[in-house]
Amino acid sequence: MTSTQAPTVRPDRAADPPAGDRPRPSARERGARLLAALFLAPTIVGIVVFTVVPIAGSVVLSLFHWNVIDSPRFAGTANYREAFTDSTVLVSFGNTLVFMVLAVVSQLLIALILALAVNGRMPVWLRSAFRSAFFFPLVLSAASISVVMKYLFNQDFGVVNWLLGLVGIAPVPWLTSENGAMAAVILVYVWQQFGFSFLLFVGGLNNIPKEMHEAASLDGATGLRKHLHVTLPLLSPTLLVASVVGIINALQVFEQPYVLTNGGPGDSTRTVVMVIYETAFEQLRFGTASAVGVLLFVLIMAVTAFQFRLSRRFVHYQ
Amino acid sequence: MHHFERRALLRYGAYGAGAAALAGTAASWDRLTGADIPGRNDGSLVVATLGSAFDQAAVRFLGEGFRELHPDIKLRVNAVQAVDWSDFFAKILTQIAAGTAPDLVYVATEGVQLFAQRLGVPLDRWVKRDAAELREYFSDVHPSLVESMMYEGSLYQLPVEFNAADIYLNRQVLRRAGADFPPPDWTRDDFTDLLRRMKRTSDSHFTPYFWTNRLWGGVVPWLFANGTNLLAESKAPGGDWLWDSFYPAGRRQGRGGGFRWTTPQVTDERVEEAYEYLASLIRDGLCTRPEGGNGNNLVGVFSTGRVGVTPAGGFWAGGLSLAGMKPTGYDVQYFPRWRTQRHQFGAAGYAMLRTSKRQDEAWEFIKYAARKDTLTRLFRANQTTPARRSMLTAERYRESGPKHWEAFYGTLDQFPDTGPIPAPPQVAGVEQVLLKHTGTALASPRSVRPALRRLQRDLEKTMERDA
Repeated sequence: MTSTQAPTVRPDRAADPPAGDRPRPSARERGARLLAALFLAPTIVGIVVFTVVPIAGSVVLSLFHWNVIDSPRFAGTANYREAFTDSTVLVSFGNTLVFMVLAVVSQLLIALILALAVNGRMPVWLRSAFRSAFFFPLVLSAASISVVMKYLFNQDFGVVNWLLGLVGIAPVPWLTSENGAMAAVILVYVWQQFGFSFLLFVGGLNNIPKEMHEAASLDGATGLRKHLHVTLPLLSPTLLVASVVGIINALQVFEQPYVLTNGGPGDSTRTVVMVIYETAFEQLRFGTASAVGVLLFVLIMAVTAFQFRLSRRFVHYQ
Repeated sequence: MHHFERRALLRYGAYGAGAAALAGTAASWDRLTGADIPGRNDGSLVVATLGSAFDQAAVRFLGEGFRELHPDIKLRVNAVQAVDWSDFFAKILTQIAAGTAPDLVYVATEGVQLFAQRLGVPLDRWVKRDAAELREYFSDVHPSLVESMMYEGSLYQLPVEFNAADIYLNRQVLRRAGADFPPPDWTRDDFTDLLRRMKRTSDSHFTPYFWTNRLWGGVVPWLFANGTNLLAESKAPGGDWLWDSFYPAGRRQGRGGGFRWTTPQVTDERVEEAYEYLASLIRDGLCTRPEGGNGNNLVGVFSTGRVGVTPAGGFWAGGLSLAGMKPTGYDVQYFPRWRTQRHQFGAAGYAMLRTSKRQDEAWEFIKYAARKDTLTRLFRANQTTPARRSMLTAERYRESGPKHWEAFYGTLDQFPDTGPIPAPPQVAGVEQVLLKHTGTALASPRSVRPALRRLQRDLEKTMERDA
């Protein structure tokens, strides 16, 4: 079989002609480059203004004491030292990591199972209805969902406990016990977020050639084995994207714990972004809040880099 | 060594010159702020109010009434929407950081000292100048409310409203329990007995006592009733210039220059007792857990008889009326006596910001906002308790109730030691650690002592911090 693709091996750099010996691009090429730069400019400006500058601003601010009212005072690494010794900050990192693992695993599992189910044999209208229903929570505001869920999960007056009471189950302290509160926050988050992974998986499943499954069937593979040895490896690039996006989102969770539990009981559901918000906007310690923000940024970058390193072993591209 | 061609050197030189020119141009510009947005900086006196405190018609009236009195002063009322005072202050501080500081901010007790210490202008010179005009106002306002707006001897706000934590009782639940309406001097034990009777005569979906974990109306009323506080309380010296001018000898006795809240004292025996009491109520199913109490659904569960009693201020008369509760469906009584019957309150008024360039105009607005005719029109819905005693009349509460509306101002008149919630300049941090550790302290009676030790440690750390 002949390939029409260009070779992926980079030519030896030594073979490149020196910069001065390169032929001058033609006027047409220069025009094309200028046009490309013009098209890219709005995106680049947007990224610089709304991403690069705020990140740089946070790093700079993390080196100062600033309370909005007075002028900033240089603090060196004091804010970082405070972040590393503040028990609330440390607990919030622990909570966030626990939340991330439980929420992302649940979200991916539920999304994958439902995507496989919806991708099975069923009328087109039913498939569309399911896709819409599973995606719908994602377009709702997390804060308003959380307000409603807070009513539903109320231990004394909530519908959830009322329904459980109908089948003889005693009221569950959903939002008033440490484990119950974390479980409720994860439930609400996963319910809202799995729609995104679900859509990715549905798209990924549609891209798997039918011949692969047919070949596996001819080789005697059954349903589960087919999914394990054919579907999952071929879906691994989609799984990688879903898990990277899921983990980044989960590490930045804010609305659900803020509205549902306000970080309680105690600190049991206080997340890193909640601590950043409280430190900055309630306690007016913008320097410390920025330092915590920078640490979270570093954590997200590290986790994402680790995922991509793992992907070299576990992700299969066709 | 790399050699540049003349052409390349010229090109890079041109790039450098261009970049330097751009940087120079940018550096020479004045810093753009939110005030540069067209329409923002139009010379108006800007007043920031808590959006949810007044309805739209009231905000409109506030502006129209002032313009009638002072047609030469341009006014813009900025109703900032916020869920609570902490959220409101965060938004105001963000405006200040953005360079769009208002001239006046509606500030409650929670923020009085923070604003006074960092942002506010003492009103002393204007109060002294217009003393004759203000005499009627001060004669109508309880000195405790005025004192709560003082900081280190100076007055920073004229209180226009307040709310003390009284006890609201559902009449239907009282009847169901076969209980009488409690007398004004009822005790903590009477209160507990009432909760037990209510529990016995109701189904499993009923909670006798509902409370919300916050600085106002949470644990603090119980601390006050037990003769203690979160932070050691004292009074700043000074303030005689005000008391001597406006209050007779009997009413100015013991007044100072405002409250000071300093050393945390939550490992105090009485604080522990108050927490243990609440923990025992939770254990016996007589009240909600701190995380379960949510003010948002309180009106619903109270008006439908799923809650028997709850602490609230005069603001709730309007809330219950709006929810359709009849005046005969509920009533209000003082907070029960424990070692004392001291009540806690929060008040609010307009604070003038140092950054204001229209301070004389701002003072005119402060006076206008404290006038009786202004407050009468503003507080028509009974959404709060007016700071002026003369406004609390049977006529005002005829339609909304409660029957014992005298209790609202009675918390000040009948109990001279009634005082503001502890709100030092570090109030945000204080409230945050209080809410957090109250949750763990009330997990069980055994959790109280270790949680209070942690609360003490965190409060000490918070109070050491510069506000």
